[in-house]
Amino acid sequence: MTLAFAVAAAVLFGAGAYLLLDRDLLRVVGGIALISQAAAVTLIGVSLSRGRAPIDPDPSRPVSDPVPQALVLTALVIGLATLALLLALVHRVVVVVRTARREELAAQEAEHSETLETDQQRDRDEAA
Amino acid sequence: MTLLAVTLLVPWAAGALLVVLDGRRRVVAWLGVAALAATLVLLAVLTVRVVVSGPQQLVTGGWPPGIGIVLRADALGDAFALVSVLVLLTAAAHEAVAGPRARTFPGLLVLLAAGLTGLFLTADLFNFYVFFEISMTASYALTAYGGATRQLRAAMVFAAVNLLGSIIFLMSVAGTYHITGALGMDDVAARMPAVGANAGLLVAVGFFVAFSVKLGLFPFHFWLPTVYAGSRPAVAAVLSGAVANIGGYGLLRFGGGLFPQQLQLAAGALVVLGAASIVYGAVLATSRGDTAETLAYSAIGQVGYVLVALGVGGPVGFTAAVLYTLVNALNKGLLFLATELRGRLVAAAFVIGALSVAGVPPAVGFLGKLELFRTAVTDGGVVLVVLLVLGSALSLLYMFQTYQRTFWRDRQPGGGPATALPGRLIVAALGVVVLALGLWPEPLLALSERAADVLTGGHA
Repeated sequence: MTLAFAVAAAVLFGAGAYLLLDRDLLRVVGGIALISQAAAVTLIGVSLSRGRAPIDPDPSRPVSDPVPQALVLTALVIGLATLALLLALVHRVVVVVRTARREELAAQEAEHSETLETDQQRDRDEAA
Repeated sequence: MTLLAVTLLVPWAAGALLVVLDGRRRVVAWLGVAALAATLVLLAVLTVRVVVSGPQQLVTGGWPPGIGIVLRADALGDAFALVSVLVLLTAAAHEAVAGPRARTFPGLLVLLAAGLTGLFLTADLFNFYVFFEISMTASYALTAYGGATRQLRAAMVFAAVNLLGSIIFLMSVAGTYHITGALGMDDVAARMPAVGANAGLLVAVGFFVAFSVKLGLFPFHFWLPTVYAGSRPAVAAVLSGAVANIGGYGLLRFGGGLFPQQLQLAAGALVVLGAASIVYGAVLATSRGDTAETLAYSAIGQVGYVLVALGVGGPVGFTAAVLYTLVNALNKGLLFLATELRGRLVAAAFVIGALSVAGVPPAVGFLGKLELFRTAVTDGGVVLVVLLVLGSALSLLYMFQTYQRTFWRDRQPGGGPATALPGRLIVAALGVVVLALGLWPEPLLALSERAADVLTGGHA
């Protein structure tokens, strides 16, 4: 069972990392979503325990550990919120820049460095 | 006890309320400033109480510790919370004077304060993660403040990279629970010595990577210049002066408090990484033309000093690490806020900040550098001392290069037409704080020593 969880977490993380390297911002967000699922699966996988659910437990029989499930629930809720925030950000980018591609966003950054270059040139001219 | 609960409740309730209101109105912006000021006062009272009568503890819901979540205020957490909220307060006042451009800005700042205060005052690993995510989510949204392409790109990069860091942190929490069966920091610290060396090291490395990403330490720094240079000055000040404290605090609390054996094992590697960070940050900062970018690379370099101090360890090293992180937060907050203002008052504040970064008295940075040199000398490494001197010399160079470019470009004193007086006064006030702490260093030094005692003397 632990092996199955480990493999699932590894596959999720790998697929997420692959998507994270994409140039499409939506795929990047998808990659992050997958990786956060990998974390949830890891969280369950590392704390598997056998037994009945600990609501009204029978003292003679083992109970399963309820803590990890509470943790995973919290982590999933947080993951959902951050995912929503990321999607809102991408939406904002599309509205402002009219693109969801990383390289086109970076092109704007290049323009900024060009202004810096001219600034530095001005410094040198002044000094000369 | 109730004081601790109230300290956490005030920014949370105020933030939840302010997010709903329209932050572009002056009244709401000043309400945010008032909420942050109230938090700061509460934290100050809490700190006094901690210093006088020891750590304050609160177990949520009245459960016995170990079942309920433990909140604890000790000198280490309090010191970080105080400085972070002070930087947030200054940034909030700075924007309130200029007029916020986004409706959520004041609310998000107050919520960030709530997240940070909670994070510094918790004694539970998973609770730490939750507060960590609260503060990070608020700062992702804050980074987009301004709404232009550069800010959006900065927010995208910041969110993507730091979410990855958060997930690595969560996985490390899972690992800790697996190997120790506990989430309370006391229990984890008590059970760590019995844990196998390999498993312990793996988890510790996970935490180290997560916090290094937050801090922008040398091999994990790639996101930092884009974000700091791309976001608005007030946001950059918040990110480097308050949010980055999470990384410094985390390294100290987890490295010094929970994983001392692993920290000792990795001491050499930490010093080497820190040294690389110092040199890399200083050299690149010197070569940059943009003020914000210079400051961003400077931040990478400054973090290296903290890591070196942490690697050396012991009471002296931890004191230096705490002190340097706090001082650096104040410096960066001051400098980033000063970048877009003009006028003599701001120029003077910038000089104080620059002197502080370089470690020249009477600014408080001198104190940080002094403690660092003490650490290096205690450790007996000549190379380390030389490296610290080199880093300081380079920081003096790039700070005054920046000063010259920013305030001397136009042949007008102060670098152009002066900004409105209230805006300048706020930056000048932070400058006075940096100067005053340098002139009367005893309180800060005593607080840092107490914070280091928390780490070296167990969790008593």
